[in-house]
Amino acid sequence: MYYFYIIVSAFGRIGFGITSNPRERNKQYCSHSGGIVDFVYLYGGLSTHAKALERTIKTQYTDHIWMIDDWATEWLNDDVAIEDFHEYVDQLITERHFRVTQVSKNYNFQQDLALDK
Amino acid sequence: MAFNLTYQEVLHKPNPMVKINPMKQGSGKIVNLQDRVDKLNKNAAWKKTKKAWIEQGKEFDVSRIPQFTMEDLGLLDIAEDVQRELDEKHCANRIAPPELFDPALLQPALCIKTSKGKYISINSQHTVSTVAALIDAGLVPGATDWRTFKFPFYYVETDSLAFARRAFGVHNGKGSKKQSQYMQLRNAVYIVRIDGETSDPDEVAKERKVSIAEKHHCFPVEVGSDYTKYPGTFTNISTFEGLSDDEIGMACAWHNKYFHYEGIHVSLFFIYRDFVRKFKPAKCKVTAELEEELAALIQSLFGNLSQFADSCKKVWRLYTEAKFGYEDNWNDDIYAEALLQLYKKFGGEEKLPKSITETHDDLVEFFDDDILNLAR
Repeated sequence: MYYFYIIVSAFGRIGFGITSNPRERNKQYCSHSGGIVDFVYLYGGLSTHAKALERTIKTQYTDHIWMIDDWATEWLNDDVAIEDFHEYVDQLITERHFRVTQVSKNYNFQQDLALDK
Repeated sequence: MAFNLTYQEVLHKPNPMVKINPMKQGSGKIVNLQDRVDKLNKNAAWKKTKKAWIEQGKEFDVSRIPQFTMEDLGLLDIAEDVQRELDEKHCANRIAPPELFDPALLQPALCIKTSKGKYISINSQHTVSTVAALIDAGLVPGATDWRTFKFPFYYVETDSLAFARRAFGVHNGKGSKKQSQYMQLRNAVYIVRIDGETSDPDEVAKERKVSIAEKHHCFPVEVGSDYTKYPGTFTNISTFEGLSDDEIGMACAWHNKYFHYEGIHVSLFFIYRDFVRKFKPAKCKVTAELEEELAALIQSLFGNLSQFADSCKKVWRLYTEAKFGYEDNWNDDIYAEALLQLYKKFGGEEKLPKSITETHDDLVEFFDDDILNLAR
């Protein structure tokens, strides 16, 4: 199982990423932020498909990617709303038949989820 | 085990590239130099450079601008330790072929003029050698002696061979912005499409290849350009140019039929190159069934070809480490080999060339377990 997550930073910026271990990844975000940050939407599925989903966003959603100088980050511009991005991701998954599904909402490392076992 | 993966249709949306394809036609736009000055003045790097000039007290010495004159070719010498050896084939095959040669395309002789009045070539020895040899061959009407033939010289007055050496480097790449592979391709396409000029078979062939790709909604674009976000675009121009018309046609048709919603990963070109070149000697055919099953395999197991290619890189690393004890250099043949081995592993029944499937015969076992488990 591999995971794709949508996160909202402490400043309200939307981000995304992939991981094989959402608990550890979430801890890293919390440690850097100095507070609990949730993976607002967490998807799980075939590793190659989770990676393909992330790659598609980086390539085709490029106009909305937050740039620091020439560095394309894994965060989105201020003007992207969480529900719009969530809808975009769901649409990609459905239209392109990616084998990932939403497995949790508002997940953080303090929660004991079935996916940790 | 029978092959049981199925390709799932993806809604075909209009591709914006069909309308905005920069290869389709030039913009026809001509701007004045002020436009470029304005652009530079807004650029952060340019502002930084201007500031550095001021801080360093740097001034533009106009007396150093090269001078222009028409001089006898016989006055020009070539310092062999500044310029390269003469490449006779370059003169014969690139400058002078009768179907290509045009005096209007000749560059002036770039040289230094010493305090003794001697001209020493910095760049353009192939041009002047060709011109002199054409006169020598009696092929230039009205010119009997190349030594007294007037030719444009562009020179700087100096006795410094170090300057000549540095200038040679600048005129041959260092310090000049090189044309990208894409720009070279675009120029060739424009010459044929916009100018209607078809005397260079190389340019005609390039335009034909681009046309074949475009017919299937596949488009060469510049690396790092905004176009790369659109489906059907690709940036690996040299691999594309190395394919035959058939290889391009088959690869682009497959992409447009099954992965029209994705950009093109270069592995597509390597896979179809190997299919076209290796199926026929093995008396195998790239059937419509095989193409559909391969699309199903890519879509079901990897999501898209880019992800398949990434997985192949990992497989090759694991395979070579296990076989040789070290990670061997990447080999582009692996895309087709891994794809067809996976196809067999998943029960594919089409006849396949052994030259693809058996070169690295257990490559497939190095894919991740979550992929291989799907075959069980």
